[in-house]
Amino acid sequence: MTVYRYFIKITTRYKWIILGYAAIFFLLSVISSINTKTKETAFMEESLNIGIVDDSKGSLSDGLIDYLGKNNTIVEMENDIDYIKDQIFLEVVDAVIIIPQDFQSRVENKEESVEIFRDDRKMESLQIENQVNKFLVFSNATRRDGKFDLARVKDVLKEKVNVDVLKTGPTSKNSGTDAWFGIYFNFIGYIVITIYILVIGLIMAEFNDKNIRDRMRISSKKFLKSNAEIYLGQITLGMLITTIFILGGIILKGKHIGEVDLSRYLINAYVFSFAILCFTFLINNLTTSRFAISGVSTVVSLGTAFVSGVFVPQELLGEKVLAMAKFFPMYYYVRINNMKAVSAMDMSYGLRMQLLFGAIFLLTGLGFSRAKQKI
Amino acid sequence: MVIKAENIVKKYKELNALDHFNMEVKEGEILGLLGPNGCGKTTAINCILSLLKFDEGDIQIFGQKMTPTSYNIKKQIGLVPQEVAVFENLTVEENIDYFCGLYIEDKNIRREYVKEVIDFVGLTEYKKFYPKKLSGGLKRRLNIACGISHKPKLIFLDEPTVAVDAQSRNFILEGIKRLNKEGSTIIYTTHYLEEAEMLCDRIIIMDRGKSLVTGTVEELKSITSTREKIIAGFENPEEDISDKIKSIPHVLDVGKAHGEYIINFENGTNNLSNLLDFIKDNDLTYTKLYSQLPSLNDVFLELTGKELRE
Ligand SMILES: Nc1ncnc2c1ncn2[C@@H]1O[C@H](COP(=O)(O)OP(=O)(O)OP(=O)(O)O)[C@@H](O)[C@H]1O
Ligand SMILES: [Mg+2]
Repeated sequence: MTVYRYFIKITTRYKWIILGYAAIFFLLSVISSINTKTKETAFMEESLNIGIVDDSKGSLSDGLIDYLGKNNTIVEMENDIDYIKDQIFLEVVDAVIIIPQDFQSRVENKEESVEIFRDDRKMESLQIENQVNKFLVFSNATRRDGKFDLARVKDVLKEKVNVDVLKTGPTSKNSGTDAWFGIYFNFIGYIVITIYILVIGLIMAEFNDKNIRDRMRISSKKFLKSNAEIYLGQITLGMLITTIFILGGIILKGKHIGEVDLSRYLINAYVFSFAILCFTFLINNLTTSRFAISGVSTVVSLGTAFVSGVFVPQELLGEKVLAMAKFFPMYYYVRINNMKAVSAMDMSYGLRMQLLFGAIFLLTGLGFSRAKQKI
Repeated sequence: MVIKAENIVKKYKELNALDHFNMEVKEGEILGLLGPNGCGKTTAINCILSLLKFDEGDIQIFGQKMTPTSYNIKKQIGLVPQEVAVFENLTVEENIDYFCGLYIEDKNIRREYVKEVIDFVGLTEYKKFYPKKLSGGLKRRLNIACGISHKPKLIFLDEPTVAVDAQSRNFILEGIKRLNKEGSTIIYTTHYLEEAEMLCDRIIIMDRGKSLVTGTVEELKSITSTREKIIAGFENPEEDISDKIKSIPHVLDVGKAHGEYIINFENGTNNLSNLLDFIKDNDLTYTKLYSQLPSLNDVFLELTGKELRE
């Protein structure tokens, strides 16, 4: 295991890069979690700007708008997705609710009845969903002979809201922590790409130096075995880095850990790490230039993080951007992190896509390494 | 025969880097591979070691066909490549231990071997240094140590003294002699005549991918038709007397350089006294007069029509 041992030894020479990124990352996370905490307690009173597109124009939708208007400022809007996204992106409104034509029948059939665009950058926008859901649940409860008793709904909700303010309901807190984890893990995705490509790339630039490779090839140690030890080293290093950042998140939000489905985040993060390890393998077979490697590390991590919705929520990104994002595992990784109600099928689709990309990167990388050896 | 390479052809597109190259190495000798830059020395080594695929020919080491998976053969071979190939992020000691570890699994044996080779190349004081802190000569010594720490029976050294100061060069050459005395067979490539003459038991002269001649230094010198070379400078006359000099018995040809005549004789006896007679008969006064035996450079010149030295 000489090769493995020295791979790890060389890794320790790059510890400052890893620790540097980790320090900045945790500092930012601590700041952001302090921020969300103050907002969480305040947010029941917070008045939001809500854009509403009412294509239904029925009594039920009027009731909903009326209810939301009590605590928030309502802005009527046209049903134009691009415009809506722009308004959210520019922070003109905190959320937009689209009430479809068949709103009433959807509510009656307990289907997804409204479409909500909200600004993921703002924790308080989460309450919109709560308020809408609350209204719909109570409306359905008052339904008799196909009619909603909206006057009763109004009365009940008045009290209910007061109760909620008193005990800052567990549902809202839960989704706050969940949202924090979603964002935190999204950023792990960004940092994983940056560090993997940079650190593993720099180490592999040494191992892939032609003269060093030749020395290894003429030795009596089987070349496959040496390579296997190198890849084992990469996996060790990669998993270590991912684990450090995951543990950081768990430590920062330790108290609330029970409120989120941690296993979803963990599985997702490790599968994603594997896919990026494969991507790193591909890059390492394309170049050994340190300059190119640090460039690729920055460009790929920033670029894919942006188009895949790490910095800006996916809902706010244009269709073309998202279509492009689908060609890199980051998109699927972020989607799983941002899912609210996780269906096993959605999750397994996202994981399978990431693994598929991993396999493609691996095979392409192998292709290039074969081509190089032919000379 | 330790190595037998027959009719190796290695083509890079149009270029024949090796053109029916032949080489035989006997056990226990230091074989020099001598030739100008770009003649194919490194290519020859890389083909022999299966680092490069070649187009034609056959290579046997220790009586077995050499292939990329001949691990039994590889175990007994050490290569000191032309370029320094070490990890910048490992110390001297760690680098040697790494490359030694590619051959020797046992940690205790390895520790001993690493220590021995560090002493051998004189890097004991520097064993905790990173390569970038080493001078050029010390880096070369590290490069050598990484190639020989596992005590191979057959060692390839590819121009290990290029760009090395005189002190390190002598140290390296002495070391190679010691390795040889301790029983290793050595293949040494160089484009320095003096090194080849002083170090090697046998020499292969190479040019343009071809092995031109093989033999001991004496044997190679006997190939040339020149037996003696006399260099003479005269005070008078001003005009060229090359044609007159050619009338002296056994003169092969006469050259002129820096105002001196270089006279090649085909026969090794009485040449100087014949020349002295000629000087007296023509009332010449000489400023310089000395005789030289042919060098490997003359051998190379005669074989290829060009000088080995740049
Ligand atoms: N990868 C390559 N592609 C094309 N041509 C090459 C390649 N490697 C070497 N050559 C050519 O093959 C010839 C022999 O090169 P080689 O390195 O074997 O020479 P050398 O005798 O070792 O020279 P030096 O004394 O400078 O080390 C040279 O003309 C070189 O330009
Ligand atoms: Mg060479």
